[in-house]
Amino acid sequence: MAKKKPSYKEAQSELEEIVNKLESESTDIDDLTELTKRATELVKYCREKLRSTEEELKANSE
Amino acid sequence: MDSLTLLEFNQLIKSVLDNSLDKSYWIIAEIGEMNVNQKGHCYLELVEKKDNYILAKNRATIWSYTFSNLSNWFENMTGTTLQSGMKVLVNASVQYHEVYGFSLNIKDVDPNFTIGERERKKQETIKRLEAEGIFDMNKSVSLPLIPQRIAIISSESAAGYGDFIHQLENNPYGYKVHAQLFQAVMQGDQAVESIIQSLHRIYNLENQFELVIIIRGGGAKTDLDCFDDYELCAHVAQFPLPVVTGIGHERDNTIVDLVANTRMKTPTAVAEFIISGFIDFESNINELYDQISSRSGEVIRRHDEYLSNLMYQLSLSVQNKVHQHDLILSKLEVNIKTRSLQTIEKQKNRLNLFEKSISAADPQKILERGFTITKINGQPMLKIKSIKTGDEVETTTKTGTIKSTVN
Repeated sequence: MAKKKPSYKEAQSELEEIVNKLESESTDIDDLTELTKRATELVKYCREKLRSTEEELKANSE
Repeated sequence: MDSLTLLEFNQLIKSVLDNSLDKSYWIIAEIGEMNVNQKGHCYLELVEKKDNYILAKNRATIWSYTFSNLSNWFENMTGTTLQSGMKVLVNASVQYHEVYGFSLNIKDVDPNFTIGERERKKQETIKRLEAEGIFDMNKSVSLPLIPQRIAIISSESAAGYGDFIHQLENNPYGYKVHAQLFQAVMQGDQAVESIIQSLHRIYNLENQFELVIIIRGGGAKTDLDCFDDYELCAHVAQFPLPVVTGIGHERDNTIVDLVANTRMKTPTAVAEFIISGFIDFESNINELYDQISSRSGEVIRRHDEYLSNLMYQLSLSVQNKVHQHDLILSKLEVNIKTRSLQTIEKQKNRLNLFEKSISAADPQKILERGFTITKINGQPMLKIKSIKTGDEVETTTKTGTIKSTVN
């Protein structure tokens, strides 16, 4: 996971970017692992964030 | 000089009033003060004002029996109780009592006038907010994607607040929302000031919140005029955080509803609105994730297919090469066979030839052709240097050997 915790909006647009990258035929098979790994992290992060209060999030990130 | 006693004079006034005035009049006035005593009689002060000056003023009463019917009906019609500050159209008769003096007895109140008056006032307020350019301000503040830090303006005891918190905290998806209550009086005279104070408190903590909710228990048709108040509406409209209302009433939108970023009918609806935003977001990212999974699966499949193709082509070309070399070898094999056969044949011929020439040289054959072999003293002729008498000559012919002696 990147150092900076993304906002919901940032996470969503990053996921959209990954989809676009994968849609383009030029996706390098070598990048695939990295991209799907990142997507899994982002989704997991959002799901957790939706279910924790701001205080918990702050505590987690410190 | 004729004189009258005070009673006679007051009686005179009374008869003049009774004779020259109609039985009742429809009068437009503002309720100045209003009290209901223990017996249920209502005592009012009716005024007419221009700006803040009182131009006219009268005492008025609504007797208990009339008042209980009238006030219920009025409230049903207008959604609000009779109260001071309200403009009303009343049907009243003039009463003059020799002791208590002049007053109006109200027999009827026209609720439509009050509704119209309120609507007129409301439109005035809306126009003012529009003219000042603040009417749409809160609407232009964008709603947070996931409002997880919410400031609530409500009254803790309000049923609507309890419903709202319950709905929010017990959502079946496990979403967490941090909600903080900013207490306010939600109806009556103090409501406007109290709600504005809460807004100020939230403003000072602005960075800690993403959304402001104004909720109030629904159901009872109590006073909602505070939500049409210019000051309150101006504060809500200009508030830097988006405001969502759930004031819980049946009748038309209040102005606070109109200037708020988003208007929901009830507190429960506000909670649903917030949670549905969470649901939308989560299903959106889940969908994105599914797309990513299936797309990357496809990419892998595509590369896999490519590799399989490559392998197939490789084995094909290897087979071709092997086959080609096989052909070359077979050709070579055939060539070698023919060549060896030819060589063998040649050798055979040569041998035959040899055989023939050898057999031609066979002494027996020569003898058969009539030649003879002569040896002298057992020595071949070639080794003989001279022949002398007495030498023994041995002549071999086809048929036998002739021994003779040289004379």
